[in-house]
Amino acid sequence: MSGFIAILSTFLIASIRMATPLTLAGLGEAYSERAGILNLGVEAIMLTGSFTGFMVTFWTNNLLLGVLAAMAGGVAVSMIHAVMSIKCGVDQTIVGLALNFFALGLTSFLFLKAFGQGTILPTCVTAAAFPLPLLSKIPLIGPILFNQNIFVYLMFLAVVGFSIVFYKTDWGVNLTAVGEHPRAADTAGINVFRTRYIACLINGLFGGMAGAYITICQLGFFQEDVTSGKGYMALVAVILGRRNPLGVLAAALIIGFAEALQFNLQTIGIPIPSQAFSMIPYVSAVIVLLFSIGKSADPAALGIPYERSKR
Amino acid sequence: MGHKVRSAVSFLLVALISVALAMLLISLTGSEVGRAFAGFFRGIVGSSYSIAEVFVKATPLTLAGLGVAVAFRSGFINIGTEGQLYMGAIAATAIAMYLPNLPALLMIPACMLGAFLLGGLWALIPGLLKSRFGISDVLNTIMFNYIAIAIVGILVQTALKDPNNYFPQSPPLPAASALAVIIKSTRLHSGIFIALAAAALVYLFIFKTPAGFRMRAVGLNPRACKCVGISALSCVLISSLISGGLAGVAGFCEVMGLHHKLLPGISPSYGYLAIIVTLLGKNNPLGVVLAAIGIAALQVGSLAMQRAASVPSAIAEIIMGVVVILILARQTLFKGLLQPARKEEKA
Amino acid sequence: MPLLEMRNIDKVFFGQYANRDVDLAVESGEIHALLGENGAGKTTLMNILYGIYTRDGGQVLWQGRPVEFASPRDAIACRIGMVHQHFMLVPTLTVSQNITLGLKSPGYPFSKRKALNEGIMDISRRYGLKIDPEAYVSRLSVGEQQRVEIIKLLYRNTELLILDEPTAVLTPQETQNLFAVLRRLKDNGCSVILITHRIPEVMEIADRVTVLRDARKIITAPTGGLTEKQLSEYMIGRELRPVRREGVARTEGSGLTLSDLCLKVNGVEKLDRVSLDIAPGEILGLAGVDGNGQKELAEAAMGIRKPDSGRVLLAGEDLSAWAVDRRIKGGLAYISDDRHHDSLVMPMSLMENLLLKYSAYQRFVKNGFINMKVLRRTTEQAIRDYEIKTLSAESPVSYLSGGNQQKLILARELTEDRRAIVALQPTRGLDIGASEFVQNQLLACKRRNCAILLISADLEEVLSLSDRIAVIHDGAIMGVKDNTPDIDVAELGLMMAGRRLEELKGGEAGHGA
Repeated sequence: MSGFIAILSTFLIASIRMATPLTLAGLGEAYSERAGILNLGVEAIMLTGSFTGFMVTFWTNNLLLGVLAAMAGGVAVSMIHAVMSIKCGVDQTIVGLALNFFALGLTSFLFLKAFGQGTILPTCVTAAAFPLPLLSKIPLIGPILFNQNIFVYLMFLAVVGFSIVFYKTDWGVNLTAVGEHPRAADTAGINVFRTRYIACLINGLFGGMAGAYITICQLGFFQEDVTSGKGYMALVAVILGRRNPLGVLAAALIIGFAEALQFNLQTIGIPIPSQAFSMIPYVSAVIVLLFSIGKSADPAALGIPYERSKR
Repeated sequence: MGHKVRSAVSFLLVALISVALAMLLISLTGSEVGRAFAGFFRGIVGSSYSIAEVFVKATPLTLAGLGVAVAFRSGFINIGTEGQLYMGAIAATAIAMYLPNLPALLMIPACMLGAFLLGGLWALIPGLLKSRFGISDVLNTIMFNYIAIAIVGILVQTALKDPNNYFPQSPPLPAASALAVIIKSTRLHSGIFIALAAAALVYLFIFKTPAGFRMRAVGLNPRACKCVGISALSCVLISSLISGGLAGVAGFCEVMGLHHKLLPGISPSYGYLAIIVTLLGKNNPLGVVLAAIGIAALQVGSLAMQRAASVPSAIAEIIMGVVVILILARQTLFKGLLQPARKEEKA
Repeated sequence: MPLLEMRNIDKVFFGQYANRDVDLAVESGEIHALLGENGAGKTTLMNILYGIYTRDGGQVLWQGRPVEFASPRDAIACRIGMVHQHFMLVPTLTVSQNITLGLKSPGYPFSKRKALNEGIMDISRRYGLKIDPEAYVSRLSVGEQQRVEIIKLLYRNTELLILDEPTAVLTPQETQNLFAVLRRLKDNGCSVILITHRIPEVMEIADRVTVLRDARKIITAPTGGLTEKQLSEYMIGRELRPVRREGVARTEGSGLTLSDLCLKVNGVEKLDRVSLDIAPGEILGLAGVDGNGQKELAEAAMGIRKPDSGRVLLAGEDLSAWAVDRRIKGGLAYISDDRHHDSLVMPMSLMENLLLKYSAYQRFVKNGFINMKVLRRTTEQAIRDYEIKTLSAESPVSYLSGGNQQKLILARELTEDRRAIVALQPTRGLDIGASEFVQNQLLACKRRNCAILLISADLEEVLSLSDRIAVIHDGAIMGVKDNTPDIDVAELGLMMAGRRLEELKGGEAGHGA
């Protein structure tokens, strides 16, 4: 029995770790979508965050600077998306995908420029797990929830913070208005454009943080397309979670669990090609999407540029 | 200046900005801009081999791009042509491997049909989920890409594995399955004809047939179609089948025309590039052909540039992303140029 | 000094005047009606005032000083407020959140909702506008939403309220309630501009009226010195041709029959055992305030929506299991209230929009391809027959005016072989000329023995066209009456407000809802 619990806890600890980048990026995206901006370029934001985070950590050996750099990198990308969507009013789906391509090329190019074509993979320091005093001593859930790395704790705080902002503050009310009926918000005196720009900023901050997690915390190195689809999985979590912070966390945990499963099965050594396991998170994302059938009520103005047409 | 001329000028500006950016990036790598550009252009038009190479790459881009265009026209956002291409490749390989004694006259159509059907099926599932249940087509098709690539990886280690080879790939496929090389000492194969024929057929379908018309109507206003009695569901299903099928045929061409076996990575992101091709070609089959040739030239040229001047070919991706963004932002960026000719909105 | 003066206002769209040298003056504590038919320029004028449009000429003076409003926010800052036809309410927020939207109350960003609600209820009581602050707007009726919009303006100390066709969405009783509120506003020193095309209301509630016609101001005068007939002439400029109707012999079950239709959407009952029988050659007018199930009924009849139970029959044949295209092929035609979403594909040409119906017809297909020659010929014929003003058959329909778009739809739907027509608000948003055209087309179909279900919130239209009149309220039929010249309109009004005909016939009519 204790053996089973031990395995289960290992799984849960790993699931939470896998879910962390998805949740962080998902929270930022949820904020953006509530304002009416659909950002498919989360992949680009995370990838850029991974890259800049890695590079700065590599050069300075300072994790904090690395995270800040990652957030800056994420914001740079999300601001391009913001200008394209808000000022130019382009199709948000296409610009998001174009940014993914762009970021993929740019990060590969810059990485190659920095390190050349060598065979040794440059690595950097990573963030380690540390237990929280008192809380980690709680039986059963203590070691699972409170013996994690800083990003996980930030994620918990973020879930709470976003929930408060969405549901308990006037900012949340304004956000809802901007996403549902921007003209009503505008007439009421809310600056629709500014609200949306701030939403994209937050999307970039948290997406960049999520990207930093992958290189600075999880892997310790960077390679081309290191995010390989995690940005899209974050979007899946946002859809299933109905843009509710707790819902996003729950959905991310499901996908995170699939990823943890994949790693563990690979290491057990079953004579099946590894791709059968690496497929699991993506298949689980598809299944998760199936469960999102039903009244999900997207913000009415999601993806629709707001025009203050003066005639 | 007429509106059309202004428009052309703005596109020219986009091109100039892109070239300037390329020059900047090239010089960042420490290479000589002149040598890099020389390498680039020589790589495209320098020899009959290089020109042929452009069309070799344009073949799958055209087919996949046509697939994306058909899907987009019906309102189905198909980002999954990469996976559908691989599924087509799998079908073609499997048929050739397990029916090795078919004569070429039967083998090639059989492989192409199989590729079309399996690729079509791979798009049909997300299409059905979108159309019937409203599930995000964008996310589903992207996930299906990763799944398809994983399936290829599994199959070349198991059912489609070459027993005589250590590396995971299929055995060399029978000669009867090969698409003929058109120009000697180049890699250009008859797949290009298939691509061009497909472009003509897709054009006719979209603009001249009732089914194509209904598909376009559904893409523009599915609600009105419902009220008039046009079934959005069947239109999207047909369009997703054709869309994935075309991408599958692209996979067939790559396997049967170029590599003559299946291995992981036979597609250098053709599926994703196809989306850019379609965007540049404005969802129009003729535009798709031209854009495919353009993107293919960019790819071939940048590889040559890498060899000639050690400039990473990743530049091509950056430039492509920038070009797309500039084109999307064109109206706003060049407002001063384009605005005076724009019609006023209705009251 | 008038509270508001608009002098010599000009506004041009596409080289056409929407307002031409228009004057308007509103005093303090006055209810001023802005009267005109659809397209006369009333809403344009108010949009200019409210900062949504920029004027091309003229001046606006507020409290004697010239003002420039660049956006509604400027107008609101001057204590001017507008309730639009399409409400500016966020459905997923509560009444209270909508009312205080954008205002920084003490405790921001953690507003004290209870204190705010007290302020709201204060206003609610003072003016007789009943609402529940914690209700979600999506659950409110249209009348309640309108009350929220008005409170929203009063909460910001609005001095001049502009109401755009407010009674279009109200029952006669709710209209009376609104008028009571307006009188209280007037007593409290507010002014009201009432945009309307309904003359009896102008006579009842307004102190003065300004009539617009064809972008010009015709007259401004106190309502006391005018008669309805005079106003009508000012508004329309010519005599209305009375519509002539022939009677019809009814045979039950031989036309369009709706039998016991029930429908629930999201747990809310939208159709409650609706049964109607329309004979060939008969026009059955379904009156009722918009939002009482009319759209759902039309869609259930056409097959666009599947009812939970009940049947639809045409000439005795059960269509209930038939898909939309089969019903259309079987002789059913649909004129929707929402051209842009339900009937037309805006970027497509006139030819292509006709093809929406005909794409599967043999006549239009040759060897698997669309027969362009036949399509063009058919389109050009339709353009001639219906006098559609367009550059060519290949222009996008978005270039057509609303009236011409509706004509195209009629050309497509009202073909010779139609046996029944479901017309949902067919003249909404059209000017008098186009409305008359549509009504005449329906009468022509009536003469061809079509069974016509005319669903309209415009009681006048229903009265002038229908052989019998039914009233719908909350998804249920309140009663059906023959349309005799001496029909009791007040009774219809009560039915629209929810009283069943049996109740009204039996005892006394109760007090207003």
